[in-house]
Amino acid sequence: MAIDARHVSKSFANYVALRDVDLHVEEGQLVALLGPSGSGKTTLLRIIAGLDTPDPNPKTEVIVDGQDILDRSASERRVGFVFQHYALFRHMTVFENIAFGLRVRPRKLRPSEPDLRRKVHDLLDLIQLHRWSQHYPSQLSGGQRQRVALARALAIEPSVLLLDEPFGALDAKVRQELRRWLRTLHAKLAVTSVLVTHDQEEALEVADRIVIMNQGRIEQTGTPDQVFHHPASEFVVTFLGHVNLFHGRPEANGHAARMFVRPHELDIERFSSNGHSVAARVQRIQSAGPIVRVELSSDQNEAITVEMTHERYRTLTLRTDETVFVTVREAKVFVATK
Amino acid sequence: MSSHHSHIERHIEPRWMRNAFIAASVGFVGLLILLPVISVFTEAFRKGVAFYFTSISDPLAMSALRLTLITAGVTLAANLVFGLAASWVIAKFSFRGRNLLLSLIDLPFAVSPVISGLVFVLLFGAQGWFGESLSRHGVHIIFATPGVILATIFVTFPFIARELIPLMQEQGAEEEEAAVLLGANGWQTFRRVTLPNIRWALVYGVVLANARAMGEFGAVSVVSGHIRGRTNTLPLHVEILYNEYNFSAAFAVASLLALLALVTLAAKTVLEWRIRVEERSVVMENVMEEVA
Repeated sequence: MAIDARHVSKSFANYVALRDVDLHVEEGQLVALLGPSGSGKTTLLRIIAGLDTPDPNPKTEVIVDGQDILDRSASERRVGFVFQHYALFRHMTVFENIAFGLRVRPRKLRPSEPDLRRKVHDLLDLIQLHRWSQHYPSQLSGGQRQRVALARALAIEPSVLLLDEPFGALDAKVRQELRRWLRTLHAKLAVTSVLVTHDQEEALEVADRIVIMNQGRIEQTGTPDQVFHHPASEFVVTFLGHVNLFHGRPEANGHAARMFVRPHELDIERFSSNGHSVAARVQRIQSAGPIVRVELSSDQNEAITVEMTHERYRTLTLRTDETVFVTVREAKVFVATK
Repeated sequence: MSSHHSHIERHIEPRWMRNAFIAASVGFVGLLILLPVISVFTEAFRKGVAFYFTSISDPLAMSALRLTLITAGVTLAANLVFGLAASWVIAKFSFRGRNLLLSLIDLPFAVSPVISGLVFVLLFGAQGWFGESLSRHGVHIIFATPGVILATIFVTFPFIARELIPLMQEQGAEEEEAAVLLGANGWQTFRRVTLPNIRWALVYGVVLANARAMGEFGAVSVVSGHIRGRTNTLPLHVEILYNEYNFSAAFAVASLLALLALVTLAAKTVLEWRIRVEERSVVMENVMEEVA
């Protein structure tokens, strides 16, 4: 179900978390709210869930499935929420954790015990933790706990699923597995989902659309391709992975061009083939991995990072401390003036 | 609260020094704590078992026991409600005056019990702020059971809140938030999530508060008026008997209090063990998190 949040502002005692933000999430999509800590992404998520209230403003709306839910309490919103630190009920078994949302329903809406068991077992199948149903959260690994938390959130058949840094507390390998699993799960269930993360790789990999936030504002919204290849601001370029910054010469009007080029859009040559290359000294070569990363430093002592294929690296036969020329291979650069 | 540091063998101090310290501690505990307890029971039975039972079944002793139990019961009920409410708001919310409330909860620990009693006399006594208007309506607080109960509540107020606040702060509010988002109402959240998470600390606080409520002397002594058969609690009754040179009876009644204390001690030990088991599971959880 589509989510529409309009004119959402939130200020705390001594800082402003959200400045008149509009967020639109298409039905069935998985959208990532991406930004550094303090950008307001978690606050926005908590406002949609009803855990925080936005600053009073008659124009503020939070619409889910065509209905303004701003006046409803968190318990009436039927929103699935997954916390970074799982927030599983520590004194309940995995089974009871998942069953909780069904057990607290008003008597009329509560499923019968056999129905409830069937439902919980279906969810246990989904997260592949059947064997652990009678265990307590403390007996599970982090990845398993987060899957239980997800099953618990899905048990109430939520209108939307909100995930607050769900993989933040997990190590790299588990995080990778869970991301892929979430992707498959989302394809299967097609529940409208919003995922908060500060990890650009995670957002690019998992999300249908990415909303990039900075200092309480939305900087850009788009598909992973759009935000990565057509960044709308300096912040977006620098936040989405490593970039090289080149300062252009001041133009006639006094504005200096700032050019951002990603490491894989640069190339190294032994000789300057045209006037647009920069001389630089090779400082460090990191060749363990799918690509080779070369760190150089220019005449003006600017650090430059270039990424290339192993094939290209072998042809070049680079060595540290030698001087080479760096050129812009692809014209797909972002130029901002200030 | 019990703290559990891992016992790492340290070999900095020489062995004789360690032994000397252990001997000193054991000696102190034996001399100052164990010996008096033994002497209470020895003195209590000095005139024989029959005299012991006559002393404790004396109507005045029984009435003191009854008042002590009533006082402890009401005190615990009140402290349970206030303690839970105060810990809840302090641990789970931030609001203006939170620190002030936290300090006020500690106040009874800082004030001498006799002063606590005097405060109530000043408020509700015949010459006190509210004394006159209350007695005009036939309400008597000082030198009556309500005064005894009020003074006891005041003195024991911090026990439950002090046990709960650190635990609730450590646990945070996320589980409650999760429960609410899953559709639970306030009562369901408290009953199914908050209460089970704090139950052992809560019972532990109740046990400590109970021990103090039954044994309180100073504050109760000031407000009770020592009316035999009416406003005497067990500790006050012991004092009266002792002042009348009725030593064996005094010790017999005191042995009742000592028994209550021993039961409390046993309950406390069991609870500490339970809490430690739960804390270990929390620690395990954190370890698993790092391993995972």
